Amino acid sequence: MSYNYIELISLVLLAIGCFFILSGSLGLIKLPDVFSRIHAAGLIDTLGSGFIVLALIVYSGFSLLSLKLLLIPLFLIFTSPVTGHAIALFAHESGYKPKGKNKK
Amino acid sequence: MAKLNKDSLKTLSFITYFIILFVFWFILSGYLKSLLLFFGLVSVLFVFWMSYRAKALEEDSLPLKIILRLPFYWIWLFKEIFKSGITTTALIWNGKYSPQLISVKASQKNRTGIANYANAITLTPGTVTIEVDKKIFLVHALSKKLSEDLQTDDMNKVITDLDK
Repeated sequence: MSYNYIELISLVLLAIGCFFILSGSLGLIKLPDVFSRIHAAGLIDTLGSGFIVLALIVYSGFSLLSLKLLLIPLFLIFTSPVTGHAIALFAHESGYKPKGKNKK
Repeated sequence: MAKLNKDSLKTLSFITYFIILFVFWFILSGYLKSLLLFFGLVSVLFVFWMSYRAKALEEDSLPLKIILRLPFYWIWLFKEIFKSGITTTALIWNGKYSPQLISVKASQKNRTGIANYANAITLTPGTVTIEVDKKIFLVHALSKKLSEDLQTDDMNKVITDLDK
């Protein structure tokens, strides 16, 4: 009956991942300006994809495949900050001011 | 490891890089036949030669000292990401965000450390590094709590300690 437990655990993890992706998408629409929207995109990149990959690892069992799956978040760790930073830097350099109070 | 001279340190970093590349090739392919392993070795050597030619194997780019502490650092980083991710999710749902710009000082000594710190700030949801000016970062935070978390300097200390 251990098979059912594994399925249940991966289902719960998938649901958590989907919740984070939903919140990120909501934030992408709801938040006021470019800089804030990058935070929402970052939420999808890190927690959303992380939980879904974790669920897939649990579901497929521990094998060479799970090592391959672990490589996905490892690459996301390096690439997702770079894209976020690139968007933020371009918006900043083209003179876009963030909304809200600014103290430097 | 501090006693090693420069040349042996360089050789050690070459060997480590080679092992990492080969393990990476093996994880992606999963073949165990000797002919295919030989082809893997050839392609790994080719990549090694190319990165040597591109001068990507200088001391700064492959810091051997931190490679053993890296897994612990990643576990700590995942914990941080999870904590601030929960905060950001709550902010998105209840709408109590107040975006603000702050400046953060970095105390890392080399370029890898500074890049690491900037990446870690951007990776935790709710804070984004906008600009890096020598050792002062311009950071955009989604709320006051997130910016105060950053200004307690915990993350800075952990990443500076990584390079000791």
